[in-house]
Amino acid sequence: MTETNNNSCCSPDSSSKQLNNVRILIDQQLCTGCGLCGEVCPFGLPRPMENGKFRISDVNLCTECSACKRNCPVQAITMLEQKGCGCLWDTRQRIKKKGSSNSCCS
Amino acid sequence: MAVTYMRKLEEEPETYDSNFTTLTNGINLEVHNWVLNHLKESKTILEVACGTGILASKMTTNGRNVVAIDKNFQMINHAMLHYPSNIDGKLLYQIGSFKDLPVLPNSQDIIVSTFMLSELRPFEQQIFLRNSWSALKPEGRLLISAEFVPSGLWKLGFKLKRWRYKKKLRRLRLNNTFLVKWFVKYLKPIGFKILESEKWNHGSIQALELIKTNEDNLDEPGYYSPPSKKFIGIGSQFRIFRCTLTGQVDRVPIEPGIYRSGNPTKNSPIIVTANYDFTYIKVMRNIRHIDAWVLCVDSNGINVWCAARGNDFGNDQLLEAVEATGIQKFTEKKTLILPQLSAGGVSIPQLPKKSVKFPFKVKFGPIWSKQIPEYLEENPSKKPDFMKLAKFSLSHRMRALVTHTTFLLRKVFLLPIVGFLVIFLIMLIWINKLAWIGEFISWIIISNALIAIFFPLSNFTRTFTKKGIFFGFLTSIVLGGMTWLLHMSLIFILLNVVIFFWIAFFSTMSFSGYTMATSPREIQKEYPRFKKINKFLLITGTVLSLIGIIFY
Repeated sequence: MTETNNNSCCSPDSSSKQLNNVRILIDQQLCTGCGLCGEVCPFGLPRPMENGKFRISDVNLCTECSACKRNCPVQAITMLEQKGCGCLWDTRQRIKKKGSSNSCCS
Repeated sequence: MAVTYMRKLEEEPETYDSNFTTLTNGINLEVHNWVLNHLKESKTILEVACGTGILASKMTTNGRNVVAIDKNFQMINHAMLHYPSNIDGKLLYQIGSFKDLPVLPNSQDIIVSTFMLSELRPFEQQIFLRNSWSALKPEGRLLISAEFVPSGLWKLGFKLKRWRYKKKLRRLRLNNTFLVKWFVKYLKPIGFKILESEKWNHGSIQALELIKTNEDNLDEPGYYSPPSKKFIGIGSQFRIFRCTLTGQVDRVPIEPGIYRSGNPTKNSPIIVTANYDFTYIKVMRNIRHIDAWVLCVDSNGINVWCAARGNDFGNDQLLEAVEATGIQKFTEKKTLILPQLSAGGVSIPQLPKKSVKFPFKVKFGPIWSKQIPEYLEENPSKKPDFMKLAKFSLSHRMRALVTHTTFLLRKVFLLPIVGFLVIFLIMLIWINKLAWIGEFISWIIISNALIAIFFPLSNFTRTFTKKGIFFGFLTSIVLGGMTWLLHMSLIFILLNVVIFFWIAFFSTMSFSGYTMATSPREIQKEYPRFKKINKFLLITGTVLSLIGIIFY
């Protein structure tokens, strides 16, 4: 995490403490601007900048589906992955059973 | 029978055999005898999923060579300790699975597998059969026993029993086993013929003796493709309704495999999708004017988005689908077009590159299947926004409304409603209160309709507790007005306003999973606060409403 600190586009001058709370960021040094992240994100969050590289336009809208991270060919995307679905019932099961849930939709 | 429950027993090799014998009423021992009687003159035997080794050791008689594999290393350890090689023959235990049999092609007289089939999903069963075919000598035999669905009336009892064990396994957080539904259909296309079969317990446990066939003298086994499945007409419309009504609860799997849209040829594209019935029907309808191969991966009867976010639509499922169906033999196209929403599970960089088993390039297509025709025609290198952005449009919200409301009525409100019904019927003087139940159901439906229709109004915040409070107020006003028209009593409204508020608050939170735009982190963070508010509203609301019911 700290390595990407200085190059982070989303929080250029954040301390590492803040970085721990960063949900998702694209490492500007690694990004080749291939744009695959922009193709898979259902919310169009990765957007190209002037230099052709991509950045996450609004971190707060990220649903942590991990599609971009999984498919980035150079592993430029760092994400704090949280297990589970964004759904009350999955959350309830996880909290009840301490962390595990069979699947979200049952 | 309850072979389902073996998932639990497998955890303890020491007691597995005795517990399993109890579970099957001793039929497993009869199955063992059946297997031993069918070994005949065989010399080389492979047992797949040998468990504790009890059968493997019995098979070594008459100087036979037995290789026994199991994927569970505890079982293998146990087997080596308790059932070591017999003096008569050779016995080798090894960790391994049906996916990669540790023997040479054309080397085995017999392959034995007891009670493994129900652990395998449809594609896995096909892969197992194909691998066995390759490992067997010509005319080699496969001895298989498994739990099947019995015929006739016995089916009902079987289903009931299975349902009970399923609940039990859920509580233990273990996965259920699978029904061996389509297995017999795979045999002929892959290259097996049934020689003999034996049934126990009205067919709930069956043993099959299969012989390897090779009429066309091929080097490899054949592939199975499911028969075409209807996607237009009244029947399929009912299947759509069924899925809409049970969306959040039921998985509705269709046979995974290759389906055809139109008359696909060697140059037709391959569209990959999930094996949820709803998804299948929608995709097939949307591409009905296009000739294409449709590959349904085994996503466990779950839609693409949820399956990808769980572990039901990922690289494993994709690789398995390609291996089991042999899709590369059907078309020269070397690109698989996946639904965009499967990207949360499928990882392109981690797929094998230029491998014989997976000779494909993978591309993520459009987000909704209705855009596939346009996507295929234009084949854009960068998709336009409308092909990749998730919009929670009114039509989506209406469908979500139906699914969510039926879910709430079935899973949350059914018990209280039945409870009140019983109380009102028993206390005869209260029989006139029955109308209240109807009113209560209408409150649930109306408040959910308000949430679904006016959901975009709550976009001022991403916090669902705040959205819930917003819809709480909105619903209280609407239902308050409605109650005024019905009862003309201000006190009755005041007594019920908290329950109005609660229904909307709770429903909004429960609706969160449908919006697509929520993250697990946000909901998990909100949950403790939600729980507190929820508890307060529910208790106050119930008390006040009860007073309302009793006195007004």
